[in-house]
Amino acid sequence: MAEHLLDVNQVTVRFGGLVALDRVDLHVEPGRTTAILGPNGAGKTTLFNAVAGVVHPTSGAISLDGRDITKALPSRRSRDGIARTFQITQPFVGLTVRENVMVSIVSRGVAMREARDEAAEYVSFVGLGPKMDEPARTLSTGQRKRLELARALATKPRLLLLDEVTGGVDRPSIPEILDLIRRLRDERGITIVVVEHNMEVLFGLADDAVFLNRGEVVVTGSMAEVAEHEAVRRIYLGDGDA
Amino acid sequence: MTEVFGRRPFLVLALLAAALLVVPFLPLNDYVLHILTVFLIFSVFATGWNLTLGILGLKTLGHHAFFAIGAYLSAITAYYGGVSPWLTVWVGALSAAAAGVFIGFPILRIRSMPHVAIVTLAFAEIVRLVFSNLKDITRGELGFWGIPPFDPITVGDMTVRFGIGNAVGSFALAAVFFLAVHLALLLLLTSRTGLTFLAIRDSETAAESLGIRLSAWKLFAFGVSAAVVGLSGAVYAHYVMILTPTSTAGPEMLITLLAMIIVGGVGRFFGPIAGALLLTVLSEVLREFGDFRMLLYGLVIIVFVFVAPHGIAGLRLGRLRKAERAEPGTAGAT
Repeated sequence: MAEHLLDVNQVTVRFGGLVALDRVDLHVEPGRTTAILGPNGAGKTTLFNAVAGVVHPTSGAISLDGRDITKALPSRRSRDGIARTFQITQPFVGLTVRENVMVSIVSRGVAMREARDEAAEYVSFVGLGPKMDEPARTLSTGQRKRLELARALATKPRLLLLDEVTGGVDRPSIPEILDLIRRLRDERGITIVVVEHNMEVLFGLADDAVFLNRGEVVVTGSMAEVAEHEAVRRIYLGDGDA
Repeated sequence: MTEVFGRRPFLVLALLAAALLVVPFLPLNDYVLHILTVFLIFSVFATGWNLTLGILGLKTLGHHAFFAIGAYLSAITAYYGGVSPWLTVWVGALSAAAAGVFIGFPILRIRSMPHVAIVTLAFAEIVRLVFSNLKDITRGELGFWGIPPFDPITVGDMTVRFGIGNAVGSFALAAVFFLAVHLALLLLLTSRTGLTFLAIRDSETAAESLGIRLSAWKLFAFGVSAAVVGLSGAVYAHYVMILTPTSTAGPEMLITLLAMIIVGGVGRFFGPIAGALLLTVLSEVLREFGDFRMLLYGLVIIVFVFVAPHGIAGLRLGRLRKAERAEPGTAGAT
């Protein structure tokens, strides 16, 4: 196994004349949780999409466990072990909660009958057991976030990309979701990269962090180190004196 | 998948089979049997089209091209090659499938649905023009007549004949064809294939992120859908025994079939069957209104779309959704 599970090396992404990412480096160690921080327009989602394969870098390279995946399609990356959730949830609304998760399982080549049983385990794990056979269109935002988590887990990922996992979720439900994410790391050994605006959430979740601004990496290190950086304090903690 | 197939789709198909089995024993004249035969063939056409339009979610508007390709290729092979229509219908289906995969490639690169609609519509117009201009083979708009009917089948002392003018035999053949195609599609779509198609329909990005190869599945869907529509065209050709490019790949065919799918219920497996039955019968009932026929036909479709936007098959679902919305707290809990 390579030293890092994910390596993003000098990745630049341009949309026409706009440079969304400028020679960005990101190195994620196995079994750790890494946060991507930055103000709006910093390039967090673009970096996230570049790792997921939705956006292709103009230059630079991305590798998973030492293997180059820069040009791989999202479906290939999923089979290689990268799973993701979406900032704006994308449930398969015409399917039930169980069927949503079955999609991940049958795409691994598992038969429908076995996929039904396996899907039930993931649905129960994220706490949606009572909603098992209800249409996904009836779920609340928080429930949809959980469904996406179950769907991503069912691909049996090594690297899980979580995009604003608490966005739109009512405050009392956030601790439950965070507990779920910690269990993924601690019990299943899944490496996690998380984009999140809520610093409170990140302090309880992330080991490492990278702070982006205008498409460039400003600071990288442990979560505590990055949180102490002047730019981070100014933007996230409203520390005007910093 | 209940939303698409209902709770017991195989039972519904068995009930349809039972209903079709009774028809030949009813005191129906040849004209009514002809209407029912056309309804069965168009049902298969509509179901095949609904596969990409409603179940995969690609807004294609050119499936009448596959109908024409299936019809003409089967008819030409049977007429000029002297091959039995029992074999040539498969030539028609395979040719349509090949055309489906061919047009599928450029569509894979288009994410905008209006552009998919325009490209497929243009493809259908090209097909119509090709058959119109191949006058030495198809006789163009004068009509390709003399297409042989399906060879008769002899069972004991009884010989069953097909083609227009042999109402009972043609109806029986169309019924078997209708049931076989719907059973095959139901078996296919209630497996991982259907689950994958519906996932792609609801979110291509999410489906791809879960390991689904979008290009391969879309091409497969296009191929199957075009083959089914092509097969219906081939059966139609050997039933009516005369074809014109405009009657098969013209705008009237597009509108009629699209209306059947919309009125029946886009994306509902049994919707297009209901739509085909309603509109085929309606079209005949309105004949006595002469010049006002198409006006009334259009009016009924417009009213229907307002009253039942999810189609006939979506009527019950609409009530269920209202009940879901009325249930307090369902969507609030996390």
